[in-house]
Amino acid sequence: MNLLDFSNSIEGYLLVSSILLTLGIFSVLTRKNAIGILLGVELILNAAGINFVAFSKFHLAALDGQMVTLFIILIAAAEAAVALAIILRFYRLKQTIDADEASLLRN
Amino acid sequence: MKWILLVAELLTVGSALIVAINPNILYSAVFLLFSFLGVAVMYLFAGADFLAGVQVVVYVGGVTILILFAIMLTQWLYRLKLKDIGSKFVVPGVVLALGLVPFLHRGLTELGKMVQAAPPEKMAEFAGSPKTALIGKALLTNYLLPFEAITILLLGALVGAVWLARPKA
Amino acid sequence: MPANSALFAQSLTQWTQGTWFASVPIWVWALVSALLVIYMLALPFGGIATYVERKIAADIQDRIGPNRVGPLGIFQFAADAIKMISKEDYVPPGGDRFLFNIAPVLVVVGSCAGFVALPLAQYLVAGDINIGVFYIMAITTIIAPGILLGSWASENKWSLLGGLRSAAQIVSYEIPVALSILPVILISGSLQMGEIVKQQGWQSGHFWNVFHNPFTLIAFFILFVGGLAETNRIPFDLPEAESELVSGFNTEFSGMRFGLYALGEFVDVFVMCALVTTLFLGGWQLPFVELDKFMITLPSGLIALIQVGFFLGKTFVMVFVVMWLRWTLPRLRVDQLMGLCWKGMVPIALFNILGTAIWMWAFKGQSMLQVALGLFSGGGSSH
Repeated sequence: MNLLDFSNSIEGYLLVSSILLTLGIFSVLTRKNAIGILLGVELILNAAGINFVAFSKFHLAALDGQMVTLFIILIAAAEAAVALAIILRFYRLKQTIDADEASLLRN
Repeated sequence: MKWILLVAELLTVGSALIVAINPNILYSAVFLLFSFLGVAVMYLFAGADFLAGVQVVVYVGGVTILILFAIMLTQWLYRLKLKDIGSKFVVPGVVLALGLVPFLHRGLTELGKMVQAAPPEKMAEFAGSPKTALIGKALLTNYLLPFEAITILLLGALVGAVWLARPKA
Repeated sequence: MPANSALFAQSLTQWTQGTWFASVPIWVWALVSALLVIYMLALPFGGIATYVERKIAADIQDRIGPNRVGPLGIFQFAADAIKMISKEDYVPPGGDRFLFNIAPVLVVVGSCAGFVALPLAQYLVAGDINIGVFYIMAITTIIAPGILLGSWASENKWSLLGGLRSAAQIVSYEIPVALSILPVILISGSLQMGEIVKQQGWQSGHFWNVFHNPFTLIAFFILFVGGLAETNRIPFDLPEAESELVSGFNTEFSGMRFGLYALGEFVDVFVMCALVTTLFLGGWQLPFVELDKFMITLPSGLIALIQVGFFLGKTFVMVFVVMWLRWTLPRLRVDQLMGLCWKGMVPIALFNILGTAIWMWAFKGQSMLQVALGLFSGGGSSH
């Protein structure tokens, strides 16, 4: 286990990335608040970013992983803006942001 | 010096845990901010100095404020305190967490072993060099297509968000 | 990790050879220099600035100002500090205690952390990181969530309104600020603060960046006005206006929490003015002399002192202008404020970048001064 050499091995970064991904998925699945689901999605995107940067340093020693992370950050910002606009619109319609209330197309 | 990396990793993971579990959505957003800061420090240690700056500017200074605005605008008037974690999800959630983390970690490390690891001196030289000029050059040569596509995406997101959130006519 | 650390480590091992200092690891030096800058420069400035502002206000309003505590009232800031520390620890009932506590801390941390990248003298930068300017821009964005959380935790409609307006203002005005920094980076080719100042010397012909081309002159004013808006100063201080929103987002804060907000605001003003000084007014460069040529004759400590003096002098002139504007101009309404940003300053800032890029291409990076001298001396010689 080279977790003990955490600044020179990739294990630490991968462990953090896995934990963040899992917590993000947990947030997306269990939260009723629509903004809570968005928080989970942001955690997932950050986990992917850490993963790319870690592989870029330890296995590639080149810039490509960091370029992908740059684009991930930009896309996450754009997606957060649009998602929050949708949530605001939904709130105006239903006066709640409970994700279970978005059920007009059900049955 | 490397203990700062450990502190940053613990901060990231601990804050993410609070984000996932806390029923108060505002506290979740605040701890998400700390999680972003932890991730920025981790980027610094992986040799991505420009990326750490972008992470703080875009995530802390942009996405966090957006999320806080949305929370404050939708919880203010009606003071809703949604019972957020329905108890029927908690047990599967815990099972997911305890099962998924070792699986992902093992899978990623095996993937890492399949890919050729970089020689240590090349890794150290890469990690210590300033990246801003390299990223700038790469954006205009190798990554020109994603760069232009991102500008169109951001323009679309900008116009779309403003249109979706327009005041009632 | 920053590329300068190798150079710093090398010179440090040179200086400390043979003494007991040599066994101290590098990160201790880095930590000590950062703490020194923050505790000896940032926080005292924040404290004294409250006194200076009141004296300047008094002068502009034709009255005397604080003159009871100490000669000319100079210990007023200490009296204020003692008063604030001894106040009751009050959290509004129903207010969120945790957020109430961390909000002022975020504001102070965000502004004080910007100090480590400021170039005080040629060899006196607490942290001359590669992404210097970008780092300062990034770390001062931590202030906005601080203000927003504080206004929410106050459990007060007017505070919340003030906080929302302030966060919207800060986030909007970051765009003209960032776009105005770009022409300087086009000229200097590096984000490092030390590099940017070094290229504004007299001998290299560049002189200060504000006189480099007419577009950077406009960018200087855009950056200055944007900095005013970022720090919630008049004419953009509707979020904390005394007569509008009952002191806005810091209504419910009393005692040391309010002290931290005020301190954070003044330190942020200093960081913004120091940023303007470094990028446009030549940082620690003396007006017509380049001290490199005197390095061998004057002791380096004296040179550092002179350079720090010039840096602080220029920054204090900018801070004086900021304070002067506070007591001279009326404040903008919030829709006028946002309209000014999005409809006025962003197009002008974009135009500046375009203009600077065209200038750099057309005149091959020379400043107005160099072009004029080239025209005079060269005569028929082409650039």
